[in-house]
Amino acid sequence: MGPFIKSKNSTARMMINVVIALIPIILFSFYKNGVVLFLNGYTSFLGMFYPLLFILVGAFSSFTFEIVYELLFVKSEEKLIDVIRGTYAFMPGLFLSLVLPINTPIYLVVLGAFFATIVGKMIFGGFGNNIFNPALIGALFILSAYSLVITNNGGYLNKMEIDTISSATPLSNYSVIEGIGTYDEVVKPYGGLQNLFLGFIPGSVGETSSLLCIIAFIFLTATETIKWRITASYVSVVFIISLIIGLFSGTVTWFPLFQLLTGGLLFGAVFMATDPVTSPVTKVGQVLYGIGLGIITVACRFLTNYPEGVLTSILTMNMFVFILDKIGVKSKLDFKKCITPFIVMLIFMVVVTLTSYNKLTKVDLTDPNYEILSTSKVGSKVTYIVTEKGYSSLIKLSITIDNGKVVEGKLLDQNDSFFQRVIDADFINTLVSSNNIKDVDTVSGATISSTAVKKAFINTVNDYNNEGYKKYMGKEVKEEKDFVINSKKEENDKTIYNVTVKSFGGTMNLDITYSKKITDIIIGDHTDNYIFKLTEADFINTVINNQDNLDIDTVSGATISSKAVLNAVKGVLIETGDINEG
Amino acid sequence: MAGLKLPGKKGMTSNKKVLPFLNPKMIYIPLYDSNEILVKEGDNVFKGEIIAYKGGNFKLPIFSSVSGKVTGFTDMLTTKGHSRTVIIENNGLEKIKAKPTIRKDLSKITKEDFISIIKNAGIIGMGGAGFPTYAKYDTESKINTLIINAAECEPYITADYVLIKEKIEDILETIDAILEINNIKEAVIAIKSKHKSLINKVQEYMGSYLKIRIALLPDKYPMGWERTLIKEVTGLTYDKLPIEKGIVVNNISTIYAISGALKFDKPLIERIVTFTGDGLNKPKNVLVKVGTKVTDVFEELGIKKDALVIAGGPMMGKVVDDSLVVTPDLNNVLVFKKYKECKDVNCLRCGKCANVCPAYLVPVMIKDNIDNVEKLKELHPEKCIGCGLCSYVCPSKINVRDYIDKAKQILKERK
Repeated sequence: MGPFIKSKNSTARMMINVVIALIPIILFSFYKNGVVLFLNGYTSFLGMFYPLLFILVGAFSSFTFEIVYELLFVKSEEKLIDVIRGTYAFMPGLFLSLVLPINTPIYLVVLGAFFATIVGKMIFGGFGNNIFNPALIGALFILSAYSLVITNNGGYLNKMEIDTISSATPLSNYSVIEGIGTYDEVVKPYGGLQNLFLGFIPGSVGETSSLLCIIAFIFLTATETIKWRITASYVSVVFIISLIIGLFSGTVTWFPLFQLLTGGLLFGAVFMATDPVTSPVTKVGQVLYGIGLGIITVACRFLTNYPEGVLTSILTMNMFVFILDKIGVKSKLDFKKCITPFIVMLIFMVVVTLTSYNKLTKVDLTDPNYEILSTSKVGSKVTYIVTEKGYSSLIKLSITIDNGKVVEGKLLDQNDSFFQRVIDADFINTLVSSNNIKDVDTVSGATISSTAVKKAFINTVNDYNNEGYKKYMGKEVKEEKDFVINSKKEENDKTIYNVTVKSFGGTMNLDITYSKKITDIIIGDHTDNYIFKLTEADFINTVINNQDNLDIDTVSGATISSKAVLNAVKGVLIETGDINEG
Repeated sequence: MAGLKLPGKKGMTSNKKVLPFLNPKMIYIPLYDSNEILVKEGDNVFKGEIIAYKGGNFKLPIFSSVSGKVTGFTDMLTTKGHSRTVIIENNGLEKIKAKPTIRKDLSKITKEDFISIIKNAGIIGMGGAGFPTYAKYDTESKINTLIINAAECEPYITADYVLIKEKIEDILETIDAILEINNIKEAVIAIKSKHKSLINKVQEYMGSYLKIRIALLPDKYPMGWERTLIKEVTGLTYDKLPIEKGIVVNNISTIYAISGALKFDKPLIERIVTFTGDGLNKPKNVLVKVGTKVTDVFEELGIKKDALVIAGGPMMGKVVDDSLVVTPDLNNVLVFKKYKECKDVNCLRCGKCANVCPAYLVPVMIKDNIDNVEKLKELHPEKCIGCGLCSYVCPSKINVRDYIDKAKQILKERK
């Protein structure tokens, strides 16, 4: 027994402090995603309260799930009310709602809270026993499994931002910019660094205001609520690495600040990384943990296609907490024991800094989001079928180049949320008709989609210039001959020509029956995925019926396949002498 | 620097006059592990007469603190647990066996005499540890610095505080004598900087003692722990004992006891004990004889019903029953009117226990690995000094120290 006096501090007090620190952030979200929308006529009076409802649903769901779990599976000897008091069941859902985009459908918030509470917390044994940050487990699940649902619902932009801001979140925008970018490309679309600092930028519900996060940090540190060393070392490492990159690339003023003020870095560093249960208990462990978070975040942002990095870094470092605490225990008794781990961290930092600098400053010609599906050559014209990653889907394009100049561009497929704007702006034809594709401005309100289209064009021209298309040719078809008669079979008054033409993704084999005129066309072996479109459009019969004048509209979405059929028919008609070559 | 500022709670007793309580009817002298008892039932004893010798390595004498008649033996409670005691009925005459010695010039005492005087007077550390004081001086190593521990860092306790206030002249004179006798370069009185009036008092009398200085300590607990104290005062750390760095630490009450021994061959049979807490009507510092039942003192001070009695301070003290008797290492008796243990909740892993631990342990991990002996070994629970800060600071109100005690026990049993 004893000691007989206890500090006034309590777990409840600490949780209340966290909630107090969150109140301005919640109110700001209410203002930015509710009040402003209402004042500008984007939502009704009741709709104004949606952000608050969103957050409440998160908190209430995880609270309910935990209690239900307690009742069903944990036969605690304590009274339920005491269990509820001691486990802070509303926390995972509260934090989850703050790290999700405002356009997350409310049922996904509930589902996420379920994951956060049950998978993230309860199956580990409940409060105090979980390894991973519960809220982030929920967020990871929702953001990866339902990303398309959320994006199609508007993603990170609230209703007004969809109209007024030309792009997605600052970091998504940054991720599609070549190289290190310029202030005008990276920061200006959001109205300058002060907007990033205050939080008037697209982002998840609670993470946009860096100012409020800094105030929260000061409050939580002064009240000894959070492990401030984690925040301090985390933010420092991100700042130092981006400062070094900024210094050497001449972008020093805005680049490091941009990295600090975006992607929920400060929110993550103040609230999520310091979650007491899932972070180290020793001081040395906490500093190493923060450094690790910083390194992984920077690596994610600069070296991968995944723009944010905060969530990934925290969930990754969660796994190393026990090792870091082991180092922490040893260095408490003998400080020299922590020198090696710090040196290892320093080496990691240097490696990540150098690789990032290299990647950001050298414009890489190989775009990992660009893929050539097939190429075909008819005469001097080379047609590429390519895909490029857009905002929320792959954009499929057909681009035809003749003598180094783009002569035709067609959209084959896409599922981007704001692509209609690209179509409305006639962006593809603008690209085709421009002399320098690189100088064409992207479409406001659909920056990412239009940038993707533009990149597809640039990449395709680059590939053409390097004669890269040759290696994508499906079957080796001799360049000049894109029509070959394989056999001629005579039956009564009919002649059946077996021919091969070049088509989408390779070649197409057809049996064409001729009896004074073409009477039947049967498509045989082919490498074409779009034949069904020809069937749907009854294209074959159209061709047979209009063989006198082959100036037929091709089938949209299966242009190349239609042309292949037409070429085959043309070839047979030349062979039979019905039309002249050329 | 680990440790923590605690609420002092010293005002309850610090400004009140020391109450002498020197004439209880019955005295119970603890015999500890003694196997050399010199009295039997019916014997008459003088005040200060040796009635037994302690066992173990040091064989310090045990004295009767009153004159009277041995009426028997019984089990009583001490700071070190249950002990057999000699019951002596006090005749109130304070009769001593021989005329008291009076030494006027203390600096004339040789080192050998010094050691035997304080050994024969049964002087032990009065700050709580109870280690025989002579053993600290009985060393081949050169002593460079004598640190006088007046930190008294646990809340509520003011026994040392009032002693300095009332006896600083004797204390300074004795320190000076100890420096002379043992050829020590300097003495440092380590005292908390917040006790301004006390510091003034010491400075007032310190003028002529050139080898004595004051070191101001921050208001932190456990500042009085030997390692922390030495680190704070000298910046030095040591492996096992302070003497490795030429340092001896004595509690200020111990110095006062040495004073009596050097001047009058007075054995350690009385001390000032703080009786405090909201369970007492008149909390006070009390000058009591070793062997006094604390309940006798309670009768004098007035105690509330159903109070909880703790031997020692609120941090390191233990709950005791009515059979507690005063021993030289008892500095405080804390009485709480009502005490309700806080309900604990799940550990939050906030790491505060690791931040405050003065022994640089990570209590939360010892708690987590209480069933894993191999891991416990790496966590060194044996280094714990039992200061209780981990339990104090825990926001989940977990009695973390209980886990460390258990871990110590487990490792001890494995050896």
